[in-house]
Amino acid sequence: MELLRPSSPEEATGALGNGSRALAGGTELVPLIRDGLVKADTLVEIRDVVPRGVTGTRIGAGTTLAELELDGEIPQALREACAQAASPQLRSMGTIGGNLLQATRCWYWRLGFDCWLHGGETCFARDGAQREHAVFGNDKCASAHPSDIAAALLALGATLRTTRREFAVAELYRLPTDDDRNVTTLAPDELILEIELTTPDASTYLKAMDRRKWSFPIVGVAAARFGGETRIALAGVAPIPWLLDSVAILDEATPLPGTGYKVEIARALVRRAIEAI
Amino acid sequence: MSEATVPKLELGRVGESLPRVDGIPKVTGEFAYSSDLQAAGMLWGHTVRSPHAHARVGTIDISAAVGMPGVHAVLTHEDIPGEKRYGLEFQDQPVLAYERVRYFGEPVALVAAEHPEQARRAAERIRVEYEPLEPLVDPERATEAEPLHPDRPTMGHGYRDDPRPNIVRSLVIRQGDPAAEGDVAVSGVYEIGIQDQAFLGPESGLAVPDGEGGVDVYVATQWLHVDRDQVAPCLNLKPEQVRIHLAGVGGAFGGREDLSMQIHGALLALHTNRPVKIVYNREESFVGHIHRHPAKIWAEHRASRDGRLVNVRVRILLDGGAYASSSTAVTSNAASFAVGPYAVDNALIESTCVYTNNPPCGAMRGFGAVQVCFAHEAQMDKLAEALDIDPIELRLLNALGPGGSLPTGQTITGTLPVADVIRRAAALDVPEAEELPRDPMRLPGGSGNTTRGEGVRRGVGFAVGFKNIGYSEGFDDYTAARVQLHADGSATVHCAAAEVGQGVANVILQVARTELGVRDVALAPHTTATVDSAGSASASRMTWMVSGAVRDACRAALEEWDKKGRSLEVDVERIYRHPRTTPLDPETGQVTGERAHVAYACAAMRVVAEVDVELGLTRVVWIGTAQDVGHAVNPQAVQGQIEGGTAQGLGLALMEEIQTRDGLITNASFTDYLIPTTLDMPPVVSELIEEAEPDAPYGVKGVGEPPTVVSTPAVVAALRAATGRELSRVPVRPDDIVGL
Ligand SMILES: Cc1cc2nc3c(=O)[nH]c(=O)nc-3n(C[C@H](O)[C@H](O)[C@H](O)COP(=O)(O)OP(=O)(O)OC[C@H]3O[C@@H](n4cnc5c(N)ncnc54)[C@H](O)[C@@H]3O)c2cc1C
Ligand code: SF4
Repeated sequence: MELLRPSSPEEATGALGNGSRALAGGTELVPLIRDGLVKADTLVEIRDVVPRGVTGTRIGAGTTLAELELDGEIPQALREACAQAASPQLRSMGTIGGNLLQATRCWYWRLGFDCWLHGGETCFARDGAQREHAVFGNDKCASAHPSDIAAALLALGATLRTTRREFAVAELYRLPTDDDRNVTTLAPDELILEIELTTPDASTYLKAMDRRKWSFPIVGVAAARFGGETRIALAGVAPIPWLLDSVAILDEATPLPGTGYKVEIARALVRRAIEAI
Repeated sequence: MSEATVPKLELGRVGESLPRVDGIPKVTGEFAYSSDLQAAGMLWGHTVRSPHAHARVGTIDISAAVGMPGVHAVLTHEDIPGEKRYGLEFQDQPVLAYERVRYFGEPVALVAAEHPEQARRAAERIRVEYEPLEPLVDPERATEAEPLHPDRPTMGHGYRDDPRPNIVRSLVIRQGDPAAEGDVAVSGVYEIGIQDQAFLGPESGLAVPDGEGGVDVYVATQWLHVDRDQVAPCLNLKPEQVRIHLAGVGGAFGGREDLSMQIHGALLALHTNRPVKIVYNREESFVGHIHRHPAKIWAEHRASRDGRLVNVRVRILLDGGAYASSSTAVTSNAASFAVGPYAVDNALIESTCVYTNNPPCGAMRGFGAVQVCFAHEAQMDKLAEALDIDPIELRLLNALGPGGSLPTGQTITGTLPVADVIRRAAALDVPEAEELPRDPMRLPGGSGNTTRGEGVRRGVGFAVGFKNIGYSEGFDDYTAARVQLHADGSATVHCAAAEVGQGVANVILQVARTELGVRDVALAPHTTATVDSAGSASASRMTWMVSGAVRDACRAALEEWDKKGRSLEVDVERIYRHPRTTPLDPETGQVTGERAHVAYACAAMRVVAEVDVELGLTRVVWIGTAQDVGHAVNPQAVQGQIEGGTAQGLGLALMEEIQTRDGLITNASFTDYLIPTTLDMPPVVSELIEEAEPDAPYGVKGVGEPPTVVSTPAVVAALRAATGRELSRVPVRPDDIVGL
């Protein structure tokens, strides 16, 4: 395997695609390669080409979660989402860019089962253990998106700047379809460079977990208030981060037999998040 | 964590609180664990494992692996010079699979190479022809399925002959009139998920050929001599040609009682004539050792109007997984303790363990008592409610004690202060609910910041349990110690007792200092090379057994020294045995002699929990316990065992469970298999009830298991009190609390 260290975004994107992958903190990518879930013959280290740090409302995609959780200037929802993610060791390596692009934790997928998301026919979560799985957008793949940070950015209405375009964070994600089972819209040779934040009047992130610390969200709720309008987004409820247009949409959830409790948790947490801001 | 006062070190004798000899090196990172071992010219071993839970094994083509860079050996079952099967109690487990694999991760082939990565890559080139078979994963169907072990390895060992297929052991205990009626009856069905020992130090060791055909194996294990006795026949060596040396153990809890890399490392070392190191990774560790038996328990308790138990009927089904390991003893423990530490004249208990293609199960802290305690304590609470009697009163009313008898007919001849532990635990001051607002870390949900008090209910739970100390049912259990007195007045003790973190090294030193009256006592490396067996670091037996053996050896050494005019060097070895036990009658489950178990220890625990009933998130606020510990050799270490054991039971209550799909473990990592962190564990207030056990040296008892036995039911009782839910399965997770 080859490791490249490009010094400009152009050089980096030129090297990407065709069996090469961008390497940021490596906390997600390296285990996936080790487990044979990602095949890459070249790793392109993007440390020197992707901005790092916070400037006003702009966050470099190479900023670590540890740096963000200490930043008093960024909106509270994002700061809390970072502080509540993973463990201190992972947060000091893991970047916000990499976090947005992490793959599902569905263990059938992680174990390499030939499941629908991997291109197969069946979703094994449907007739197996499924309490971690989705309640929305789950008719093909019932995986739950694990990113706390993505939910926070979605509620905050953040936008992304990549090597090609600028777009709302909501457009980074797509529900996978039979023809295209990707959950993001990023091209193989496209890099996220910056995240542009809005400034809400108040925001918060609440996270229900199976343990008091250091675990993925069962349900995470990000809420941000802009004047009279409140935006709410959820982690852990759909194959992608889920924007909740209204609280009533929770009544339209399509839980699996084992995931109905997530709807109840989401209902209570959404209420509490709204009250908190 | 509770505070233990450390008195000034005098001599470090029995009864003094002493810091652990391995404590500071462990916290400062200087302690060498088995995975830190190195030897010049060392190769790395790698194990090829079955990706199927059940398959026929055809040809194994190693040709592509043999010539890979750095590869020195590729071995299959054909390369085993001796016995092809081994086992802790029954020789039913292939060293390397042939004909059939029966569980996910079963070892099939071995590679040794210069670098671990080379070994791993070569392993990928080995082609194994598998014909997948339908895995047997439902223990309730096991007795109707095709037999996984047609040769029935556990039959004919004095157990009831149960002709059904896939029975590891089935034991029925009948006492009094099993049809006896009471005034009230309560019943329930309880389930316990598969818990993992989750030790932090993965299986690892180093095998070094001795140049004369023999081998030295340095390994993290629990029972050196029984490792040796399993390794030697497979290598076709005499026992003395195999020396097992204890390497630094990073936790054990029963999971190292069976072999892991021992035979494999030795085979590779002898084959290559080079030292070979094997270290499992975390995922491999999850498939590389046995687990706690998952169980389903059907219980019915009948009682008189005034609250006396009249008849207890329990059926226990344990899933043993693919191989027998110590399942037969777990089966009988579960049966023996199914009623709990209560007196009852009539009982019908059926305990059955079956083979399946699920992960193999065996010893884990609490050994059969954990599963049944969860059921009997839930039943006692139900009964208290049905009778409208205070649950603690009900327990006191039925408490077993010395002179009382168990459903097996065994009379309690030693100490068993059940009523005392109940009263003392119940008398502990439960803290008042803290004022709101609070820091999120002091609320359910913890760092997730999920509540400021909304939805939070408080509950207090109580549980009592007991367990045997030592090996049972006629097992010839002994411990050897060897003492050398040196001319300069110092002494060396040899004992093969595995220090697994429980503090037995301190016990050995404390006993020796007490008996010899000198401070300068050294502990020789734990090994099979210089001393006879110490038995297993399990069954809460080691403190008792080692105390007896070291005491006897010290006294004999002093006698010898006196005889020799107090000048020459002395070197004596003594063997200690606890009171003899006898088997249970295979038909009635009744004792055939004075005792089937050596002795018992009990504990009671009170737990305060808060539950956010809208989210199902919990916070265990406070734990108080009173435990029957005999005479505490090292009170500080006893408290450590109580806290650690309680945490392990809390883990089972709230989060720990191995998940499987068609026999495959799906959460073999500490990302997906959650264990409690220090934030999940509240402070533990522990009261030590010190009553000297009459049959034991210095009146000691084992202390490691009772806290694990009682903490699971005590935590769940608190959750029930807070939520009003039945919660009949552990672990209890948010979906069990808010589920519809
Ligand atoms: C045990 C564990 C627990 C965790 N718990 C949580 C949790 O509770 N909540 C949570 O939100 N997350 C959690 N995570 C995820 C963690 O936050 C991410 O692994 C981390 O942020 C990824 O960042 P990285 O820099 O290491 O990414 P890498 O591993 O380097 O990359 C991840 C992916 O993103 C791509 N990539 C990275 N940066 C860019 C970029 N700028 N442009 C384009 N592509 C890019 C890579 O090619 C790769 O595909 C956990 C992870 C682990 C391992
Ligand atoms: S939930 Fe998605 S990732 Fe998981 S098994 Fe189903 S299709 Fe595969």
